[in-house]
Amino acid sequence: MRNLKKNVISACVAAVTMGGTAVAQAADSVNVAFFLEWATPNQIAKVDKTYDEAMGVDVKWTNFSTGVQMTEAMLAGDIDIAYSQGLAPFVTAIQQGAPIKMVSVAVIYEANDCFVNNGLGINSSNASELEGKTVAVPLNTMADFAFRKYMQVLNVDTSTMKIVDQAPADGAVSLAEGSVDMACIFGGDSAKKAGEVGTPIMSSQQKRDAGIGSFDVVSVTEKFATANPGLLRTFLEVTHEANANWKGNAEQVNKVAADAGMDYATTKNQMSGFIFPTAAEQKEQFFGPDGVAVAAAESLGLVFKRPGAWNVDQKIAKVITGEYLD
Amino acid sequence: MLEWLSDNRAVVAAIIILLLVGSFFASIIYGIKQTRLREKDQVFGDPERTVGGWFWAVCGVSTLLLVWFYFSWGSARAFFPQAANELCQVAKLHEAVSPVTSSLAIDSRYSKSKTLLVRNSRQLAELRDRLPVNAFSPADAALVTGVMQNTQQLISIMATPDFVGAATIAELEKIKAGYAAITNELAKPRQGWSPDPAALAQPSWGISEPEIPLLPISARGAMYDALAVEAASLSEDFLKIRNLSPAAKDLISETKATIAALKKSQSPNESDPAIVKDRADYLKSVDRIFKRIDDGTIFPAVVMADMQLAVEAMLDRAEKAKGGLRYVEALFFPGGDIVKSRTQCTEQGPGRWLPKPTDVVATFFGLANPDVENGGGYKGTTLLWWKWLPISDVVSILIPDSLIDLLPGDYGQLNDKGEFEANYKDWMLGLAQGDVYLGVVPMLDGHIWDSLFRVLVAMFFGVLLGVPLGIYMGVSRFYKSFFDPMIELYRPVPPLAWAPLILTIFGIQDDGKIFLLFMVAFAIMVISARTGASGAQLSKIRASHSLGASDRQILRYVILPNALPEIMTGIRISIGVCWGTLVAAEMLAGTTGVGFIENVARTVSDYELIWVTILIMGSLGLAFDLMMRWVISQLIPWRGKG
Repeated sequence: MRNLKKNVISACVAAVTMGGTAVAQAADSVNVAFFLEWATPNQIAKVDKTYDEAMGVDVKWTNFSTGVQMTEAMLAGDIDIAYSQGLAPFVTAIQQGAPIKMVSVAVIYEANDCFVNNGLGINSSNASELEGKTVAVPLNTMADFAFRKYMQVLNVDTSTMKIVDQAPADGAVSLAEGSVDMACIFGGDSAKKAGEVGTPIMSSQQKRDAGIGSFDVVSVTEKFATANPGLLRTFLEVTHEANANWKGNAEQVNKVAADAGMDYATTKNQMSGFIFPTAAEQKEQFFGPDGVAVAAAESLGLVFKRPGAWNVDQKIAKVITGEYLD
Repeated sequence: MLEWLSDNRAVVAAIIILLLVGSFFASIIYGIKQTRLREKDQVFGDPERTVGGWFWAVCGVSTLLLVWFYFSWGSARAFFPQAANELCQVAKLHEAVSPVTSSLAIDSRYSKSKTLLVRNSRQLAELRDRLPVNAFSPADAALVTGVMQNTQQLISIMATPDFVGAATIAELEKIKAGYAAITNELAKPRQGWSPDPAALAQPSWGISEPEIPLLPISARGAMYDALAVEAASLSEDFLKIRNLSPAAKDLISETKATIAALKKSQSPNESDPAIVKDRADYLKSVDRIFKRIDDGTIFPAVVMADMQLAVEAMLDRAEKAKGGLRYVEALFFPGGDIVKSRTQCTEQGPGRWLPKPTDVVATFFGLANPDVENGGGYKGTTLLWWKWLPISDVVSILIPDSLIDLLPGDYGQLNDKGEFEANYKDWMLGLAQGDVYLGVVPMLDGHIWDSLFRVLVAMFFGVLLGVPLGIYMGVSRFYKSFFDPMIELYRPVPPLAWAPLILTIFGIQDDGKIFLLFMVAFAIMVISARTGASGAQLSKIRASHSLGASDRQILRYVILPNALPEIMTGIRISIGVCWGTLVAAEMLAGTTGVGFIENVARTVSDYELIWVTILIMGSLGLAFDLMMRWVISQLIPWRGKG
C-alpha cells in the first residue's frame, strides 16, 4: 500500500515536471501540419529531407483532415507551422482570437465549383432560376465562400434557397440522386462524381473574370514566429525553392503522388490546377500594400460574420505579414 | 432587462456563485441531518433508501456548477473583473521581451548560441564526411574543405569572448542598462501611472470582442503597458546586434570569395549530370551553413551571462510587481493563462474551450430569441417557437401524387380561348400537392422541435415494431431463429456507417434521418422485449395454462406484464442513444436541428455554441428520462418488489 502511494506520488511529480518542461523545450524539432491528397512540390523537399538539412532541425510532418483541426493543434502547442491551411479556417481562427498568423501563400487554385444538376438546364445566364431551389454546401469552408461569391456575382438571392449542410462526398451523392439541385464541392474525387451529373455554374474563365479564386496559406503560431524567425524564413525559402524546381516530370509527380497518397493521374490532374507563386510575386501581389491576402481574408471574414462578434477594424490585416518571405 | 444582465455579467455571476456555495453547504448539512434521522429505520440494500433525496441532487448540481464556474474562469471574472486586463498588460511585457528570452537560456534549457553552435558544428562534420570526391578536382576539394574549416573557425571566433568587438560590447551594455531601468521602474511603488480615459471606456472582460480589453484600465496595468513598449524597443535593438569582430569579417569575406569561385569552377566529370547535380547540392549545403553563421548571431556564453541576469532580474521583478495579482492568477486561473498575440489578449487553456456558464446562458438566450429577423435563432430558424401550419401540408404528405393519376378521367386542358379549365382531378392533384387552402393549425417550430420530432417518430416506430417482434422472438422458435441473424448482424454497425446508403435511398428529407434513428431504437427495443419475454417465470405460465388460459391470454396477461420492466428500460436506453445518434443523423444533410447547430459550430470552433447544444441535448435527454421514470412508477409499481 505504501509503495503504491509512493509510486502514485512520484508519477504525479513526474507528470507535473514533464508538463512544465514541455513548454520550455528549445526548438530542436519543428512540427509541421499538412494535408494528405493535396499534392504540392514541397513534398519532394519533405521526402528528401531538404527541410531538415536546410533548417538544421528535425522537421516532423503530421497530416490533418481539416484546417480547423490544424488550428486546434497549433493552440495546443503540438504544431508550429500549418502548411496549406485553408483561408476559411484561418480567418475563423483569427475571429476566435487564436494567436496565429499568415506568413505566406501556399497554393492558389481555382475556386471550388458549384455543380448544377444537368436536368435543370440552369447555367450562369439564367442563374436566377436557382432561387427557391435546394443547395448542398459544406458550411464554413472555402466551397461555402465560393458559393456565396457566385450567387453575389450572378445576382441570386440566397435567402430564398434551401441550404443544406453536407460534406462534399454526401453532396455529390445527393446531387446524383436528385434530392439537391446544386451541390458545392471540394476535393478531387467528389468533384469528379458531381461532374458526372452536373455542370459548374461558372466556368473557369468566368470565375477568373469575376475575380473569384481561392488560396491556401502557410500559418504559424505567434510564439514560433517570434522565437525562431530564422527557421521560419528557411522553411519558406526551401518551400519556394521546391516550387521553383518543379518541372512536373514523371519522377517528380511519382514522388509527390506517393507522399500525398494518390495515384499518378489524380496527382497530375490536381496539380495542373495549382499555381505556386514565388516569394517575389507574393510580396508584390499578396502582401504588399492593398495586397490580395488581406482583401480576401477581410471579405471572407464578412461572409462568415457572426452577428456582433467581429469588429471590422482591419484587425485581420495585422496577422497577415510577408516579412518572413525574404 | 437581458441587456442589463449581460452588461453586468460579473456581478450577476458573483451573486450566483455565492448562492451556489450557500446551497452547497446548506444541502450537505440538511442531507446529513436527514440521513441521521432515518439511518436506524432502514436496512442497507433496501430500495426504499434511494427514494427522495432532492437535497443531494441540489448538492450535486451546485458542485457541478461551481466546478464549471471555477475552471471556466467564471469565478475569476466575477470577483476580479480587472484581473484579466492586468494580466494582459503583463503578457504584453512578456511578449515584448520574448525575442530576447528565446535567444537566452530562459524559455529553454540552452541558449540559442549554444544550440546554433552545436547544431551547425555537427552538420559541418557530417558534411565533411560525405564529400563527393569525384565531383571536385583535388584543388576544388581542398577549397571546399577550407570553406568548411573557415566556417568552423568562424563559429569558434564568435564563441570566444576575446574576439567580441568593443562596439558590440557597448551595444549590449546599453541594452542591459535599459533592462536595469525597467527593473527599477518595476521596483518603485506605483506612482505616476494612470489609465487613459479611452481605456476606461472599453467594454469590460467578456462583454464584446475582443474578449479582454487591450488598453490598461488600472494603474498597475498602465505601468506594465508602458514598460512593455520600452522592452519592445530594446528587443528590436537586441536583434540588430551582430557579433562580427574584424577577424570574423575578414574570414567571412574570404570565405564568400572562395564559395563564389567554387560555384564558377567546373567539376572534372562535367559530362555526368548526376555528378554535376551532386556537386551543386553539396555546395548549396555548404553555403547554407555558412550563411547561417555569417549573420553573427552566436555570442560567447560569458558575454551573454550578464544579459541573461539582467533579463531574469527584470522578469523576476515583473512577477513581484504583480503583488496580489499573483495569488489571483494562481488561484482563479487554473490550467492556462492570458496570452497576448499580435492584435489581442485571449484566454488560453480551459478559459478558452470551457465557456463561462453566464456566457453560455447568454448565447442560449440569443438563440432562443424567436425574432429571427433581428439576429435571433440560428441560420434563419428559431430554437423553439410556433408557427401556423397549413393543414393542406399534412394532407399532402398523406396522399401520394401518383394516387391521383389513378382516378378516372383526364386532367384539365387549355380551351380554345387559351384559358385553363380545371376539373375535379386538377383540384384533387392540388390537394395532394398541398396547394388547396384547408385552414391552419398552430404547430411547434424550430431546431429543438425538429430534432425532437425526429427522435419521437423514430422512437414511436421503434417501439411499435420492435416490441411485438421482440416478444414473439422470446416465445416462438420460428421468430427467434428467423430474425435473430438479421438483427444481430446489423445491430453492432455504427449508425454513421449507414449514412451514405441512407442518403442514397431516402434523400435529404427527414425520412432518412428518422430511419437512421429508428434503426438504433428498433434493435434496442427488440432485444429488451425479447429478454423480458423469455424471462417470464415458467411457473406463472404453467399456472395460467393449467387454469385454462388461451395462448393469447398467456401472452397478454402473463408474458407482457412480465416483460414490461425490460421494455421500459429499453425505451429509456434507446431514447438516450437516439439523442446520441442525432448529431450523426443531422450530419447527413443538415438544415435544422440541434445536431446541425453542433455540426456547424464545430467547423468554426465556436465553443459557446457547442456547449449550448451539448446542454440542450443533455437536458432534453434528462427530461425524457425523468418522464420515463414517472411512467415506469405508474405502469409497473410492482417492479423490484416481487
